[in-house]
Amino acid sequence: MSESDADGRPSVVARLVAPFVDRSVAERLVISVAAILLSIVIGFAIVLVSGRIAECTTAAWTMPLTGLGFCYDPVEVYVVLFNGALGYPFAVGDPGLLNPEWTPFNLSFGLTLSETTLLIFTGLSVAVAFRAGLFNIGTQGQLVVGALATALSVLAVAPLLPAGRIAGVVLVVIGAAAGAVAGGFWGAIPGALKAYADANEVITTIMLNFVAANVAYVLVLEVFRAEGSSVVATRYVPEYAQFLPWLFPQSSDFALIALLVGVVFIGALYYFVEHTSLGYDLRTSGVQAAAAEYGGVNAKQTTVRAMTLSGALGGLGGSVWVLMSEGRWMASVPDLGFDGITVSILAGNNPIGVLPAAFLFGVLKGGALEIGFRTDVPTELVAVLRGLIILFVAMPEFFRMIGRYTGVGGPPGGVPGTTEPDETAGGDRGETDA
Amino acid sequence: MNPAVHLDGITKRFPGVVANDDVDLAVERGSVHALLGENGAGKTTLMNVLYGLYRPTDGTVRLDGEPQSFDSPRDAIDAGVGMIHQHFMLVDPMTVWENVVLGNEPTTWGGLRVDREAAREAVVELSERYGFDVDPDATIADISVGEQQRVEILKALYRGADVLIMDEPTAVLTPQEVEELYGVFEELTDQGKTIIFISHKLGEALSAADEISVLRDGVNVGTVATSDVTREELAKMMVGREVLMDPATTPQEAGDRVLEVTDLSVDDDRGVEAVSDLSFELRAGEIMGVAGVDGNGQLQLVEAITGLRRPSSGDVRYRGEPMAGKTRRDRIDRGMAFIPEDRQERGLVMSYDLTENAILGSQHDPPFAERGRIDWRASRDHAESVIEQYDVRPPDADAEAESLSGGNQQKFIVGREFERDPDLVVATHPTRGVDIGSTEFLHDRLLDLRSQGKAVLLVSSKLDEVQGLSDRLAVMHEGEFTGVVDPATVTEEEIGLLMAGESLDDDSVEGAALHEAASEEVGGEETASEGAATEEVEGEKAGEGIDDTTAGDEGVDA
Repeated sequence: MSESDADGRPSVVARLVAPFVDRSVAERLVISVAAILLSIVIGFAIVLVSGRIAECTTAAWTMPLTGLGFCYDPVEVYVVLFNGALGYPFAVGDPGLLNPEWTPFNLSFGLTLSETTLLIFTGLSVAVAFRAGLFNIGTQGQLVVGALATALSVLAVAPLLPAGRIAGVVLVVIGAAAGAVAGGFWGAIPGALKAYADANEVITTIMLNFVAANVAYVLVLEVFRAEGSSVVATRYVPEYAQFLPWLFPQSSDFALIALLVGVVFIGALYYFVEHTSLGYDLRTSGVQAAAAEYGGVNAKQTTVRAMTLSGALGGLGGSVWVLMSEGRWMASVPDLGFDGITVSILAGNNPIGVLPAAFLFGVLKGGALEIGFRTDVPTELVAVLRGLIILFVAMPEFFRMIGRYTGVGGPPGGVPGTTEPDETAGGDRGETDA
Repeated sequence: MNPAVHLDGITKRFPGVVANDDVDLAVERGSVHALLGENGAGKTTLMNVLYGLYRPTDGTVRLDGEPQSFDSPRDAIDAGVGMIHQHFMLVDPMTVWENVVLGNEPTTWGGLRVDREAAREAVVELSERYGFDVDPDATIADISVGEQQRVEILKALYRGADVLIMDEPTAVLTPQEVEELYGVFEELTDQGKTIIFISHKLGEALSAADEISVLRDGVNVGTVATSDVTREELAKMMVGREVLMDPATTPQEAGDRVLEVTDLSVDDDRGVEAVSDLSFELRAGEIMGVAGVDGNGQLQLVEAITGLRRPSSGDVRYRGEPMAGKTRRDRIDRGMAFIPEDRQERGLVMSYDLTENAILGSQHDPPFAERGRIDWRASRDHAESVIEQYDVRPPDADAEAESLSGGNQQKFIVGREFERDPDLVVATHPTRGVDIGSTEFLHDRLLDLRSQGKAVLLVSSKLDEVQGLSDRLAVMHEGEFTGVVDPATVTEEEIGLLMAGESLDDDSVEGAALHEAASEEVGGEETASEGAATEEVEGEKAGEGIDDTTAGDEGVDA
């Protein structure tokens, strides 16, 4: 072994910060901001046009000079979308930058963070499968199964324990474990089918979503339905077995502790992927399966492992949904698993990126609710605006292209307009080889 | 008279790198010019400038004295420059003539219909004029690599090329096909065509070219006439120092059996048998070479040995232990090192940096991993030590594998595998794409491993390499060993015949050795090992003489 170079090693602080200031991460942030701005510009036009088409008694906004009236005010829409999602921290229109009465612990921000928390789990679920080169569309099904397992296990164990805080902690742990195991099992099925029967995981996970949703529905309908309930749902788990709202209003369905657990999972998964042997196996299989095989990675085992882990995270998302949001399992499970796919892609399948991506989704969700409360803008139009934002954020390559073309960011690629192919900088002097 | 091609002060910069620095190159009409240099010397970049793929940062390209400004290869083709790439750009299921006219088909009905008759006629006429023996109606998939290369040349000629650039034209050919290619060169230059070919092989440049220009670090260090330069002088120009032309092997007793392969059959991905009933054994302190044209089962053989492919029948034993059912992981743990043929698919994870690549295969083992946690500090140290010892450039453990040139990628893989402290090294084309200086070093390392008592299975298409390093040399053809010969006494022609699947004449000494080897395969293990041992001693006696008989060896590359 060569003598080690003590100075050449980054300090502990530098190593901790490195994943956040990594050039590609910084670039991604810049791109995301640019994408949101561009989507707002286009969204403005859409809001104006639909504001012309819609009929209303008084114009929300009148165009200067022309005197044309519009039913929806685009500025208001976006202000409410972003400001409202946070509970109006910014004093728009009033003097001063910040709203003096604002506290972070408001209902709107709680709703935003609630959505963020749930999407952290589903986003991580999809991301870990992606890193192993597997396209897990089945997070939704894994979440449904995990949620049901959580609700049923907590309901089953609760009568055995004396009601109280300690029983609450025990029940939450049992519920989460049951959710993770059930979700993990549901993920392991397509993993095993892929590894040992060569079944495409995209197909099997989609199919298992239907199986999960319908089996769970029938089970609850026929066996576990709460007496006298008008909807297909289980009984509520005891109050003390749910996450405490703590600081945030009860109606926001948000528990800070759940968000913290989510953040811990982000860190843990990052560590797993980047700093463990199994994580190395997993991501090497994802980027270059032939090299992983050469490096002694058992492809079949890795596939099953990754899908099990992915399913367990989806199942945990289901646990959080039951124990934080609903308090019971009910048939109308929101599309958290599907949104998790978009969250993961926005995050570049990087666990750390899942946090901002899930938060963006949370903001869009919370903001959309606010727009519904505060303005006449139809929810369908808000959905279009949300879609636009996600669409633009999800195509970073488009913005890289713009960046290259205008010379913003990155080295200028020689004389513009030449047919020079993109060269990788470094030692390769255009030498080809066998 | 103006030279056909005149590159006048060409400089080409890439971000951070000067690939060509003020290169002057003049090539006379009707001559063959070799562009010689190590990997990364800037040969291909220079030719890409001439072919219009790159715009030079500085300098002028002149054809027949006329300054040219190429925006794309299309402009270069229009000006009469054609390029034949190392990897052929042919459509396998289409016929020869279809491939030749592809993209420039003669048409009738106002451009709506391809005039097949005229097209075929033009191709036939062209191949007759240059004496090419190619069936215009044959499908590309059915013809040999040498013929495919001629189709590529026809393609360039059909597009009106006067200057032909060829990138490493002999890399994929058998010795016989190389000879035929030289014949084609003559035919072309007789008719006034100009040929520039890129090579990093001295022998090839010396036997085929009229003039040789040597590039080193992007600079033209000299243009010499083939008639007044020696191999040694050329090698010195390329590397910038004296080079030992041949590895010095010393006689050595073989030790214990490390690898025993018995009646091994292996299928390829399509389920076709690629290795048929192969048996051999390999002892500690022995290098066994496997020569042969690529695609004759070498890949499947090494994959079956190293645990990447399941044999369809037969047995592999490693240090006496049957390997059936043992995973790739098990075999790595037992000390098998493997330099794979496809370094960019298998040997390296292209998007990982060298630190991450340094532990590929050892990601579960100390000192790189403890209790499931990877010690990135240890792997960085390891990466840096490999980089330093094996002269990997750029010397940066944070560089991504894909940013390295092929030769440097190769050096890194070889270094990583050699430093694994293996008992068995399975090396497939270990020096492919690696420059002379580093090749010399890697050869020395292989011989070090041998003297340390390691067993080495060396698969290479470079004849001089397998001949110079091996204790025994097996020639593989269509999944079988057509002969196991003594590398010291066998001639190049004989190896060529074996590579083509023909057996040797029994009267010759080598033929006797071959005969013996062949009967061994039938006879069983004990006789096989004895035969091998005696053969080897003879080989070593004669091995001393190999240094004197170098000329021409290196030019041959299957």
